Amino acid sequence: MKVSYNELQGLCRKAFSGVGFEEGDAADAADMVAWMQCHGLHGVEQLNRGLDYLLEESHEARPRVIYQDGDLAVLDGLGHSVLRSISLATELGFAKARARGLSVVKIRRCHNRQLIMGYLSRLAGRGMNITAFWRNAQVPLTEQVVGFRAGHTTPEVRVYSVRDVPEENEPNDGITLVMANHVELLPSLGADHDLDLLAHHPESELLACRQLALEEGIEVDDAIWARLKTLAHRILVESSEASRGGAGAGDNDND
Amino acid sequence: MTNADLISVSPSGLRPADEVMRLERLGSLHATRLSFVRSLVRQMARQRWQISRVRFDLDANGHGSAIYRLQTPHGRYHGVMFAQPLDDAKRSDRVIAEAWDVTFGLVEGDVDDSLLAQMAANVPLQEAGRQHPRVLVLSRANKSLRNFAHFVDALADGEQPDPAWLTRVGYLYRTTAVYGNGKFGLADFARLLDNPDFRRPFSAQMAGVYLLRHFSIEQVEHLAACRSPDTACPLAPELRRYLGIGNSTGLGMAPFLIHHPQLIAQWITQRETALALALRQVPTETDRLALIALTRRAMRHLDETVTEDAEQTERNAATVAALPDVLTWLASVPLEADIWQQLVEWSARTLPLEAQELINTLLIELYPDQVDALEDQMGVAENLDLEPDMPLMRFRQLVETHYEWALAHDYQSREGAYWFWYRSADKEEPRLGVRHAEPGAEKEMPIAIGPRVAHTHQAVCEFLVEQPRATVVDFLLEHPRHKEVVRRVQSLVKAPYGDIHTNLWHRDMKPMHLLRTKLSFFGASRFDPKSDRWVRITLFQGAPLVEELNAEPQDLAEFDDWSFPLEPHREGEARSLQARSRGVAG
Repeated sequence: MKVSYNELQGLCRKAFSGVGFEEGDAADAADMVAWMQCHGLHGVEQLNRGLDYLLEESHEARPRVIYQDGDLAVLDGLGHSVLRSISLATELGFAKARARGLSVVKIRRCHNRQLIMGYLSRLAGRGMNITAFWRNAQVPLTEQVVGFRAGHTTPEVRVYSVRDVPEENEPNDGITLVMANHVELLPSLGADHDLDLLAHHPESELLACRQLALEEGIEVDDAIWARLKTLAHRILVESSEASRGGAGAGDNDND
Repeated sequence: MTNADLISVSPSGLRPADEVMRLERLGSLHATRLSFVRSLVRQMARQRWQISRVRFDLDANGHGSAIYRLQTPHGRYHGVMFAQPLDDAKRSDRVIAEAWDVTFGLVEGDVDDSLLAQMAANVPLQEAGRQHPRVLVLSRANKSLRNFAHFVDALADGEQPDPAWLTRVGYLYRTTAVYGNGKFGLADFARLLDNPDFRRPFSAQMAGVYLLRHFSIEQVEHLAACRSPDTACPLAPELRRYLGIGNSTGLGMAPFLIHHPQLIAQWITQRETALALALRQVPTETDRLALIALTRRAMRHLDETVTEDAEQTERNAATVAALPDVLTWLASVPLEADIWQQLVEWSARTLPLEAQELINTLLIELYPDQVDALEDQMGVAENLDLEPDMPLMRFRQLVETHYEWALAHDYQSREGAYWFWYRSADKEEPRLGVRHAEPGAEKEMPIAIGPRVAHTHQAVCEFLVEQPRATVVDFLLEHPRHKEVVRRVQSLVKAPYGDIHTNLWHRDMKPMHLLRTKLSFFGASRFDPKSDRWVRITLFQGAPLVEELNAEPQDLAEFDDWSFPLEPHREGEARSLQARSRGVAG
């Protein structure tokens, strides 16, 4: 089915509230999913893939700071989805970069990592240069790098595989964020490296996707939509004869 | 006026948020020349928009479809109307209704057979349908049965309806929701940001309602002509003008006000800037006479206004009773350079709130050249962004400086936490429940900002005891549930008209004030509360007609001068003001 951006964002927000997210987290998570979807980056599919995990997670789940100093922070995402409270880990990097010019934040053990792009977009819009890096798979070894220019809310995304796999290739389900207040960090693939470019989404392509989504609507799988609606229903109060009076109106307006 | 000029008057010289954002004052606002219906009509006239009928396929009962073309210099749109039979038992203004007398959509671009078929299958279903992404606005309306019957009867007999019927209820149709911004598959508002016709908030919705007004006139004339082809006559121009479109509104407006604080702040900032600009003008004798004339017109309009609601009747009467003193003041005070400032200071000391805000509205009305450019500033990019590096101590100071109103309430008391707001499973209709008596409080909509700010403030104070040098993000990493309140406060100290200074839980809180706040910016008149949380209003009453617009008016100032419309006289009849004010029996 076709839905609008606002409709997708609104339903996701209600669904996340239904899952038990705090209001701010529900709004951020909904923004992240809708942002990804309208830029052609399959946000709803990503969400659907992680929804069962989300439903099982503790409501109190939040990333823990393992180490931090002025420029650097390492956090443990406890294996939870980036949709829940991970925005604060990125905000920590933002604060450090504002104070020190450049920051590095490593978030270990998290999933649904693609969706973090939706929140990084906001930080970039607030004037921060950002590079995000993570590994999508170990065999073959694939890496993803996302670069935002300060003031631009749309990134450039590259996914590539590495032919020359290092001996140390332990599973890595973390994200590394580098933020710089004044210096552009746009990544480019080095010609000398033994890489196969698997996907490249320049800023212009993602912007065109967004434009098309606004003009023609966003295609969403019916079954996922129905599932989100079921979750959103959790925040509603069942109607009763007494509660119908709570709207303060009569039932008939034949006057 | 240049942007630099506009900026130079803002924010200094504007009334403080603690005065403007009191709920009782917001609930006393009147429409101004910056209200959305007024801005739209000016834009249509200035840019020579043209409206034409391209389809009018109604049967003798008025049922069928009609399409109106709206041509602007930049684009073409179509209002597509579906009128259908409706069982009286199903005629409800509530969102939980499932059928209506008329449903309609405003479409960007042309309507071919395929789109018309898609709309015919979905627009009448409203929320239950899936709307096409080129549909900008979706709405529905129910008849005012008494007015409709009276108008058809009179016109069929070749007579004009009694204008007093329109004074009592100023429309043939009242809308019960006007949807935009992506609802049910409609076009997102973001798509309109580059559209010079409808980039202002709610302008597309208001255009849809304006087309419905025209349809209501053509439909009632069609019915009269079908019934009595030999005797029927068209509606007289002065009655057409006096006919608006109603709107029936409930608690749904409250969450909007809370969820869009930066937009509300923007609207109120423009209104307050307009007032500040007006107060700065050095008045001439002509200005003084113009204000006297406007005051007389507004007084008569309010005197004519009929509502069954005792409290609103009393408020209207209090305003009408106060205005003769205003006229005396205006006629007697020497024409000094700061006379308008003197006027608002005097009115603040002596007049009820609605009368004070009426004076402000009328002062704004006097100065189109100075204030009309503000209508282009009604939109805003909405982002409640965190400032994670802010020292937490600084955040605490911001709360204590700007949210004193929120900290002053007792949210533990029964009275202070009396209401809770929720959405019902019945089509998500917003409702109010009594916290200690009704089920559902655990699913409360968190729109009462006061208690949330107080809660966050308490947590911040406790955190600062242990970590006095902490930043905001340090606090939030430990207490993430406060993120939304923290970034709201950080954002709104820069947009201080964003939060309404009241406890929305309190037993004495009046939801009607919230409804009126938003409706005044739409341009509503004839506030007619049906309960403490349900109101009917009228839009476009007195507005220029489609045929006047199509005639490309030369005098745009005269075209724009339609605020506070008055009941027209019946031909050959000179009724006393007092008799008119009594209206007709219900």
